[in-house]
Amino acid sequence: MLVVSELVKRFGDTVAVDHISVSVPAGTIFGIVGPNGAGKTTTLSMVTGLLRPDGGSVSVHGADVWTDPAVAKRNMGVLPDRLRLFDRLTGSQLLYYAGTLRGLDARTVKRRSTDLAAAFGLEDALGRLVSDYSAGMTKKIALACAMIHSPRLLVLDEPFESVDPVSAVNITSILQKYVAAGGTVVLSSHSTDLVERICDRVAIVVNGRVLVSGTMADVRGAGSLEARFLELAGGRKTAEGMEWLHSFSD
Amino acid sequence: MVTQFLGLKLRLILNLFRRSPLQVVGIVIGLLYALGAAGVTVEGLAALRRVDPLLAGNITVTVGSVIVFGFLAVPLAFGVDHTLDPRSFALFGFPTNRLASALALAGLVGLPALFITAIAVAQVVTWARDPLSVLFASISAVVIIATCVLGARVSSSLASLLLATRRAREITTLIVLIALVSLAPVVAVLASVDWNRDGLAVLKSVADIAGWTPLGAVWSAPAEVASGNVGAAVLKLLISLTVVGLLWLAWRALVGWLLISSPRREGGTHYRGLGWFGRLPDSPVGAIAARSVTYWIRDARYHTALLAVPVAPLLFVIALAVAGVPGSVLALVPVPVMCLFLAWSTHNDVAFDSSAVWLHLASNAPGWADRFGRLVPALLIGIPLVLIGSPLSVAISGDNSVLPSLIGVSSSLLFAGLGVSSVVSARFPYPSVRPGDSPFAQPQASGTGAGLIQSVAFFAAIVLSLPALLFAALGLLNPGVHSWPLVTLVVGVGLGLVLLALGVLWGGRIFTRRAPELLAFTLRQ
Repeated sequence: MLVVSELVKRFGDTVAVDHISVSVPAGTIFGIVGPNGAGKTTTLSMVTGLLRPDGGSVSVHGADVWTDPAVAKRNMGVLPDRLRLFDRLTGSQLLYYAGTLRGLDARTVKRRSTDLAAAFGLEDALGRLVSDYSAGMTKKIALACAMIHSPRLLVLDEPFESVDPVSAVNITSILQKYVAAGGTVVLSSHSTDLVERICDRVAIVVNGRVLVSGTMADVRGAGSLEARFLELAGGRKTAEGMEWLHSFSD
Repeated sequence: MVTQFLGLKLRLILNLFRRSPLQVVGIVIGLLYALGAAGVTVEGLAALRRVDPLLAGNITVTVGSVIVFGFLAVPLAFGVDHTLDPRSFALFGFPTNRLASALALAGLVGLPALFITAIAVAQVVTWARDPLSVLFASISAVVIIATCVLGARVSSSLASLLLATRRAREITTLIVLIALVSLAPVVAVLASVDWNRDGLAVLKSVADIAGWTPLGAVWSAPAEVASGNVGAAVLKLLISLTVVGLLWLAWRALVGWLLISSPRREGGTHYRGLGWFGRLPDSPVGAIAARSVTYWIRDARYHTALLAVPVAPLLFVIALAVAGVPGSVLALVPVPVMCLFLAWSTHNDVAFDSSAVWLHLASNAPGWADRFGRLVPALLIGIPLVLIGSPLSVAISGDNSVLPSLIGVSSSLLFAGLGVSSVVSARFPYPSVRPGDSPFAQPQASGTGAGLIQSVAFFAAIVLSLPALLFAALGLLNPGVHSWPLVTLVVGVGLGLVLLALGVLWGGRIFTRRAPELLAFTLRQ
């Protein structure tokens, strides 16, 4: 399980993450939704040990990420958003790299690479350079890299962005089986529909704060998650003064 | 539309100055340099007015051909100027003819156009001898400007079409670098000509040929008139007008083609197996080493750094040879210098990864493994270089007794240099070319002490190798005492290895402690 308490991150005068606390029990898929710039990626970067927080703590199955990184990071698989990959490697080389960096031996890595490639539909792409992949394929190979050492916790930042619907269904079922076996998933997404469909628990983050957090049924109440999200995030801004757009110039 | 395009081009040029003060200083220095070069050429052309028409013609044709060639070749070799790329206007729906002419006219605004205009006008001064010559020179001046401006646009558009793929760009980079390296023999051949005696004959034979080519015909026409060959002049003017016509047709066709073609996507080659990953141990350090070796082979940015390794000693040796250092000593210079540059080339390795280094953080890869793995390619090249290069150098120099010294000094520079690089790249990364960009591209933010870090990394390796260098010098000064070379060998290799180990461990501790800050640095780039 993952316990995040009182995380703070400031960039100059702006407070990007303002005392965020969440706790994710083992065996659940936890969704973080929020508008652009809400601090989702910043929070997940601190959770995974990629960004040093200004305050607060993160513990993964009892091990603190910032004081006991060896144990905490071994238990964690990471998919960051908008960070580069070593994309001059081929798909199979990148998987091998991710596996051996985690201390797996060559035989295990090769066996798991084959399985992961089949599960994500990447068999034909393994021999090509990752820099030649499409955005969706890059996302899938990065996801495979996050899973290769069979961690207890997966932290996935925007795992479904630019992934096609078939692959998305595929990834969802992989994650659901993983959770059924006792794994834990934390993911962030812009898509409230998707989070509503696959997550057991959810937190809505706006301006670096958790506005509401709990089981999906509690958070969404009687309506949909999207309705609740729009209500909390400040609602819809009606687009006034755009009438010229409807007067088509020829 | 043309005025708008000219305005856009002017605005783009003015925006060059809206950068950090240091970059503006660099641009101003470049400007002054270009102005100086143009000024000297203009002055020279004006001075040719009093020179015999045959000789003056030979000079203008040779220099002019080189200038036209430059306008055609530079965009092909050094990538494309993306401002005013026809593709940017694809969505505005301009008629192709108008767009092509507007873009060509916009090419007249800018430094290269200014430069060539000044020279074309100066060339009229050279031939201001009689009315007919002036007439031909004036027509030539217009044609020169048109050839250069259109030629540059055509070749930069061709470059953007042909070099759209990463692989093509990498290959071009390599070709340019190899061409630069192979220029050395050309320079040597040119230097061997006795210019006082044969210079004019060489110039004449070059000009005779170039004068009939698209590069030189336009410069040659007024020269022929001044020498009285009106027939040849008309013919040459026709050649040059045809060239401009063909360039225009090519430009018009390219604009049309660029407007409807989408940027090319590459199919990608299939690689089999794991490559170097299969050859090195399946541990973090083995994997990091395999990754580094793969990148040194595949990434053009590493190729540029690597090509400096053989080029630097070449320049060193030439400089020393000019200074009169005897050949027996010169032969000992290349191997240590190559070791120094090889070790130094790894001093900003983390910055080359860009944000991909997150994987090392997330995997909690041991700091020393990261540090050592990155040095493996340099060791794989450096150790054979020392073991094979040193006996070769000694054989050329003819003094067998210095072999241990040479190995000692070279190893010390290689190992100590790698130790220094290991610490520097973890503690003081500075912005470098981003993955996939041209190796010649400017880093996004330069001037953050990069020069200082580079010099410190370079001289620290030399300072740490001073013991080995000192003993080697004692050995050279006292040829009778045979123990100095052996002392140099032991001290050089031993101290070098100790410094390498210290550098890897210290750098590893820095990497572990500062890893999140390193990632933040790569994200700021």
